[in-house]
Amino acid sequence: MEIVRIEDLKIYYKLIDGVAKAVDGVSIKVYPNEILGIAGESGSGKTTMVNGLVRLVKPPAYIAGGSITVNYGENGIPKEVNLLRISENEMRNLRWSFISYIPQASMNSLNPLLRVKDQMMDVIRERSNKSKEEALTLLPELLKRVNLSPQVLDMYPHELSGGMKQRTIIAMALALSPKIVIADEPTTALDVVSQLSVLSTLYDVCRKSKTSLVLITHDMAVHAQLTDRVAIMYAGKIVEVGRTADVFKSPIHPYTKGLIASIPTIENGGKRLEGISGIAPSPKNWPTGCRFHPRCPKATDKCRGAEPSMVEYEEGHFVACFHPEVKK
Amino acid sequence: MKSINEIKKIANNYIVRRIVAYIFLMFLTATITFFIFRLMPGNPVEAYLRSMEQRFPQYFETRAGMELSQKYKEMFGLQGSIFHQYFCFLRNIVKGTFGPSLLTFPEPAEKLILQALPWTIGLLGISTIIAWLLGVLVGVFIGWKRESKVSTFTAWLALVVSQMPQYFLAIILVFVFAYTLYLLPGTGAFNPLLKPGFYPEFIFDVIKHATLPALSIILVTAAGWIISSRSLVITILNEDYLIFAEAKGLKPGTILRNYVMKNVLPPQITGLAISLGFIVNGAYVVEWIFNYPGIGRLMAIAVGLRDYSVMQGVMLLSIFGVLTANLIVDLILPLIDPRVRRG
Amino acid sequence: MKKAYVDRNLIAGSIIIAFIIFLAVFQPWLNKLIIGGHNPMTASFFGRYEPPSLKHLLGTDYVCRDVLALLLLGLKSSLLVGVVAGTLSTLMGIIVGFIAGYKGGIVDSILIGTTDTFLVIPSFPILLTLSAYVKKLDVFSMGVILMIFSWPFSARVIRSRVMSFKNAGYIELAKLNNMSDLEIIFLEILPNIVPFLGVGFGQSVVASMLAATGLEVIGLGLSGVITLGTMINNAIGTGALSMGQWNIVFPPIIVLMMVFIGVQLINMGLESTFNPRLRR
Repeated sequence: MEIVRIEDLKIYYKLIDGVAKAVDGVSIKVYPNEILGIAGESGSGKTTMVNGLVRLVKPPAYIAGGSITVNYGENGIPKEVNLLRISENEMRNLRWSFISYIPQASMNSLNPLLRVKDQMMDVIRERSNKSKEEALTLLPELLKRVNLSPQVLDMYPHELSGGMKQRTIIAMALALSPKIVIADEPTTALDVVSQLSVLSTLYDVCRKSKTSLVLITHDMAVHAQLTDRVAIMYAGKIVEVGRTADVFKSPIHPYTKGLIASIPTIENGGKRLEGISGIAPSPKNWPTGCRFHPRCPKATDKCRGAEPSMVEYEEGHFVACFHPEVKK
Repeated sequence: MKSINEIKKIANNYIVRRIVAYIFLMFLTATITFFIFRLMPGNPVEAYLRSMEQRFPQYFETRAGMELSQKYKEMFGLQGSIFHQYFCFLRNIVKGTFGPSLLTFPEPAEKLILQALPWTIGLLGISTIIAWLLGVLVGVFIGWKRESKVSTFTAWLALVVSQMPQYFLAIILVFVFAYTLYLLPGTGAFNPLLKPGFYPEFIFDVIKHATLPALSIILVTAAGWIISSRSLVITILNEDYLIFAEAKGLKPGTILRNYVMKNVLPPQITGLAISLGFIVNGAYVVEWIFNYPGIGRLMAIAVGLRDYSVMQGVMLLSIFGVLTANLIVDLILPLIDPRVRRG
Repeated sequence: MKKAYVDRNLIAGSIIIAFIIFLAVFQPWLNKLIIGGHNPMTASFFGRYEPPSLKHLLGTDYVCRDVLALLLLGLKSSLLVGVVAGTLSTLMGIIVGFIAGYKGGIVDSILIGTTDTFLVIPSFPILLTLSAYVKKLDVFSMGVILMIFSWPFSARVIRSRVMSFKNAGYIELAKLNNMSDLEIIFLEILPNIVPFLGVGFGQSVVASMLAATGLEVIGLGLSGVITLGTMINNAIGTGALSMGQWNIVFPPIIVLMMVFIGVQLINMGLESTFNPRLRR
C-alpha cells in the first residue's frame, strides 16, 4: 500500500508571453520504506513536481490539475487525503511530521540570524508541548545521526561549512520522524568529498529509521548506487519507472539508454562518452506527440503524432514509448 | 613594553579603527568649517570694524581705540595669525564655546544654541521614533499581506508621500487645522502667557503646539520607513530560509516573528540610529513655518543676519551629531547582526 | 508579436509634465491673456487681497498682483533653477560615476569614498551657509550650490551601471577588437546607460527644485525674481496663511506637487518598462 499516490499532476507557470507546462501529467507512487530516485536533465520538471508534492508552489507557478493522495494512517489503518484539497491548517499538521523536505542548495535554507539549536527546536516545540529544555535534549541525538557534534548547536549558520549546513538540514528533516523525506539535489553545491558523506548519511539515516526517501538528482551514478526504484523524467512527464536494478540492466526508453550511457565509468577506459543529441525543449512549447522524438534515434511519424502511454514490460517496470527496446 | 605584533593586533581591532577614524573626521570637519568661515566674504564683524576704522581713523589710532578693536577681534577669534586663530578655534570647540552671537550680542552663541537644542531634540526625537515604529509596523504588515488592495494602495501612497518635502505637508496641515478649523495652534512651542515649568498644564500645552509640526515630520518619515520595510519583507519572503520555514509547517505567527521580523529589524534599527543622528540637524523649513524655537529656525535666522558664531556652532553640531551616530551604529552593529561579529 | 506595453503611470506622468512644460514655455503668451502682458511683479496699492474673480482667477496678493500671472512666472523661474541645477548635477554625476566605474581600483575607492561622504553629511546647514556666502544669488550660482549635494545620487547609479556593464564582458571584447578607450566609452557604454540618465535627470531636477524652494521659503533664495518658493514665503510672511487665503497659499504648492508627482509617475513607469518583473 503506497504512502503517496500522485495522479496526473499538472503544474504550470504563468508567464508574460505564455504558459510553461513544467509538470504535465505526472503519475507516480511512493511506497513505505523505499528509496525512490527521480532522474532527468535540468528543466525536466523534477523540482517543480516535488514543490507540488509539499505544496509549496508559488506564483507564477500554479497547480493546473491532478491529485496527490497521501496515506498517513498508522498500524495498517489507512487515512487518505488529497494534499491539494485540504486546508492550509490541515496541511501544516502534516508538514514535517509526515513529509519533510530538503530543498535544493539547502545551504541557504538556514535562517542566518538564528542559532542552529533555535532553528531545530522551533518545529519540535510547536508540534509537541515540550518546553525549551526538554526539546534541547533531543537535539544532540539528531545531530549524531548525521555525524555532527553537539557543538554545532550554539553556532550560527555562517560559522558552518557547506557540508555541515547540509547535514544540519538533513538532521532537521528527520526531527519529527516523518514517513517520507524529499531531497532535491542534496549534493549539487558541494565538493566531491562532502557529496559522498552527505549521500551516505542520508542513506543510512533513512534506512535505519525506515523512512521513505524521494531523491532527486540528475546524476545517474547516484541513482545506481542509492535508490531502490528510479523514475526518469523528461519534458514534464515520466517516461520510464522501475526497480533500479531493472532499469539500469535493461533500460527500455531511448532517453534512459542515453542517460545511462553517458555515465563515465573507470572500466570503460578509452571508450568515447555518448551524449544525447539535440537540446532540451522549452516548457512553453513542448514537442508534439512523444516529446522526445526530436532527439530520438528511433523516431517515426507515429512518434510525432501521438503521445505514448505507460506500459508495464516487466514487473514494476513501466515505459512510455512506441519503439521500446525490450531485451527478451 | 608591548611587542610589535600586539600593537598591530590592537590597531587592527575593528573598534579601535572606527574610533580613530571618527576622531580624524571630527578634526577634519572642524578644520574645514574653520576655513569656510574665514574665507567667506561679508563677515559682518570685520566689515563693521573696517568701516569704523575708516570713519574714525583718529580714534582707532589711539590706544583706547586699538584696544577696543583688539578686544572685538579677540571675542570673535579674528586676531592674530591664521595659526593662532586656528588653535583658538579648536580650543574653543573643545571648551564648547563659539564666540558671541550677533543676534543677542554679547550673549555667547552657545547659549542660544543650548536654548534651542532641547526643543529640536524633543520634537525631532519623538517624531523620528514614532515615525519609525509606525513605518516599520505598517511596512511589515503590507509586505506580509501584499495581495490585498489596501496593501497596494498604501504602498503607492507611501511612495509618493515619502518623497515629499516635509514643509509641503506642514503648510497644508497648518492651513487646514490651524487657520481653517482652529483646532491646533500654528506657531510657537508653547503659549507665551504660560510660565514654563514641569506642570501638567504646560506640558499639555507644549504637546498641543508640537502636534502639527510633529505630524508633518512623522507622516513623511513614516512613509519612507513603510517603503523600506515593505521591500525588505518582500525580499525576505522570497529567501530560501523562509520557504524552508514554511515547509517545516511552522505557524504563520512564528514565521512572522522569528524569520521575518528578526531579519527586518537589524537593517531598520541601523537606519533608525542614523536618523537619530540627524536630529541635531533640525527640521529647518518646518520649524520656520511653525515659528518653532529650535535649531533649524535659529540657523535660518543666523544665516539671514550672517551671524557666523551661531552658524559655525550649528554646523559643527550637525556634523558632529551625524558622525557620532554613525560611530555608534558601527559599534552596535555586531551586537544585532551576528554575521558581522568577526574580531 | 508582443503587445507594446506602456505603463499607466508613465502616461499619466508624461501628461502632467507636458502640461507643466507647456505652461512654462508659453508663459509670455499666457501672461498676455491674463493681464495683458504687463510685468506680473509690479506692485500697487489698489485692489489688495482681492478674492478670486473673473478678472483675477486666483485673486490678488498683498500688493495687488494677479496671483495666477505670478504663479506662471514663478513656475518658470523655479523650473529654470531646477533644470540648471539638475543638469549640472547629472553631468557631474555622470563624470564621477563613469570614471569610478570604468577605472576601478584606487580611483574608484577614492571617488566612492567622496561620494558617500557627501551623502552622509547633512546638506541643509551647508546649503544655508553657502547661500550666505554668495552675496547676490542668481540662477546659476544657485544651481551650482544645489548641485553640490545632489550629484552623489546620480553618480552612484551611473557607477553601478558602468561596473555591471564592465563585468558583462562587452568591454573585453571591444578591447580585443582594438577599440580605443574613447571609442569604447561612446559606442559601447553610453548607449546602455542613457535610460538611467533620463531617470536621474528628472529626479535631480525635482530634488533641486524642492531644495531651492526650501531655501526660498526660509527667505534665503534668489533675489529679485519670484519663484514658487518665494511665493510661499510671502504668503507666510504677509499672513496670508493665517488669514486662510487659500488662493495665495495653495497654488504654488499644488503646482510644485504636480511637478513632483509627474516625475514620480514617470519614474515608476520607466522602472516598470525596463524591469518587467515589477509589472502588475
